[in-house]
Amino acid sequence: MTVSSLQARSKPCTSNLGISKHSADTPYRPMLLAPAGSLEMAKVVVDAGADALYMGPLGWSRRPFESEMTDADIREAIDYAQSRGCDARIVLNTFPSPLEMDAFTDKVKLFGSWGASGFIVTDVGAIRLIRELLPQTQIHVSIGSGITNAMDGDFYQQLGADLLILPYRWGEAEIDEVRDTSSIGLEVFLFETVQTGKICPGKCIMSSYLKYRDWQEVEGVRDSHGSANRGAKECYRVCQTHWGFGTDETADQQLKLRSDAQLMLDQLPAYIDRGVEFFKLSGRERPIEMIRDLVCFYRKVFDAIIDDGQTDMSIYHPEIEILRQRWSKAKSRRVGTLMARAKQYGEGNANSHTKPNSNANAAVIAHA
Amino acid sequence: MFELATNCANPKQLRQTDFSAFDAVYLGDFSCLDYPNNFSAHPELLEAAVTQLKAQGKKVYLRLYATPGNEDLPQVREMIEASKRLPFDAIEVHNLGVLRILQQMGSTLPVHLGVFGNLYTDASARVLKDFGVTRVYPNPELSLTEIHYIREQTPIEIILPVHGKIPLVISETCFIIENSPETPKKVDCNGKSVCNFPCSQDYWLNRSNGQWVLKDTGRMTLSGKDLCMLEHIPELLSAGQQFFYIQSHGESPEYVETSGKLYREALLQAEAGLLNNDQSSGMAALRALSKEGLCNGYYFEGAGQTYIARG
Repeated sequence: MTVSSLQARSKPCTSNLGISKHSADTPYRPMLLAPAGSLEMAKVVVDAGADALYMGPLGWSRRPFESEMTDADIREAIDYAQSRGCDARIVLNTFPSPLEMDAFTDKVKLFGSWGASGFIVTDVGAIRLIRELLPQTQIHVSIGSGITNAMDGDFYQQLGADLLILPYRWGEAEIDEVRDTSSIGLEVFLFETVQTGKICPGKCIMSSYLKYRDWQEVEGVRDSHGSANRGAKECYRVCQTHWGFGTDETADQQLKLRSDAQLMLDQLPAYIDRGVEFFKLSGRERPIEMIRDLVCFYRKVFDAIIDDGQTDMSIYHPEIEILRQRWSKAKSRRVGTLMARAKQYGEGNANSHTKPNSNANAAVIAHA
Repeated sequence: MFELATNCANPKQLRQTDFSAFDAVYLGDFSCLDYPNNFSAHPELLEAAVTQLKAQGKKVYLRLYATPGNEDLPQVREMIEASKRLPFDAIEVHNLGVLRILQQMGSTLPVHLGVFGNLYTDASARVLKDFGVTRVYPNPELSLTEIHYIREQTPIEIILPVHGKIPLVISETCFIIENSPETPKKVDCNGKSVCNFPCSQDYWLNRSNGQWVLKDTGRMTLSGKDLCMLEHIPELLSAGQQFFYIQSHGESPEYVETSGKLYREALLQAEAGLLNNDQSSGMAALRALSKEGLCNGYYFEGAGQTYIARG
């Protein structure tokens, strides 16, 4: 399949909020939500057949700056997407500092005025704020919210959110349970369910415990200090590298802290059968050509399931295996890059800080 | 007046530890329902514990499991039911779905948001207040400047951890069991797996030639170093903080008692206006109790494992 052949795809029928709905008038079609880590990637995924794209402004979306976009690029990407019938979602899923809520509010207003149709958000205060500012926008509860049960969906619906991004550990049974508990929309990452290991988005602050760096100029100088959850200190993916693990008495095993998630295929028909509204492809930091190929692949699979009733996924196994291998290699390279970067950041950065609210007491770094 | 609190996981710890330095105790281990006789999972154990602590004049808070899956919710509901019959002063939740359950069940207890509740902003504190939350444990990544700001901006209590290992990660599965293939798997009469508690030993994660060390308790990963704010107590009190906490998950009775006494003394001294008392002997005692040394967490805007002394 070529990219150009996909440009003629029929667009899904959508509600006024952008979600495909089950109804006689607007038959259900899931939305393929693709990453845009750059303006170039944004245009590529639109052309490749994504129904919606997501992008994060510099310093506000829990990714290193090279996978985030300037406001000007985001505006251009929104225009490009909308002119081709593709929705644009903005990732504002850092936990903002309480000292920068005004700046957060300004970002929401700005992207809303440019036509962004939804926001991916983590902080519960930020969710309420967006709902009040933009009553018609669509709010996705970020994976960073760390939900673990169906009642979480009920909580976020009460708060005004529209879509719950489901944990990597969840499968069909959990989808059924959340459907039984609330009517919040569902979004899943295009990864097969993973059961074991430390898979804890939203419940992990290991990176910032180990290494620190301050905001970089490109991210915009901010008053608050940074962290992985706030966009400055990267998450170094320390869970995906090897650690020694043992007791004082036993020799260390060398282990990664979590299992790698595989790109989803075989679970897709069951998820579509359950009416999952959004399928999200990860990878703002991945090579553009890989993301293009993945969007093409999933566009083809989705259309075959929905339009032709093709639920036998084995016909795609050779293709997905190649894509999975490419994904794993790129991921390993990425973890290596982030870990190497972590080594460059010394604790010495903290020396440049004076102790907040200190008076006559100077701050001294000590080795305790 | 201040409040100094800590945690107590089970009746054994309650029997073995002198909690006299503390004003309040959080009952239960929020990280693992299978932990032996965990107060967070055994409603039948609560009455005796609450009675004992209340007789000592302490406030008693019930901790609920932090990461309940759907299958755990009946047990969480059972704990909430039990809490209604007993004189608890508050109930601690980490999971926002459980806040909704508390509302549905008509619980009138004040609610404390635990460390994994991800409280980063005053805006979130205001939202959570609407769901019955009266006290929050700020995310450990927050600086003191931010914590003081939240306290000033919201009519909600802040509990400030001042000592102990920092909870960094919580997971729904046990990393120790998953990586202990030699551990025999026991099953009960119903065929359900029974944990044989390999976490009774201390497990550690290390990397970079010991530069990075973390403690692992199975479902939770803690900082290798112990947060220590003993030297900074006067500034915390003068900033208006009132509620202090020593995190003692998995620590010995000696650790709880020694740290409790040192912090109580430091708080009383600071309250009496003795702002520059030498804490070197206390610091030495706390350093001796720590395996990997001391840190300030994120309070002074560095990496969590750095230590900034009061100069």
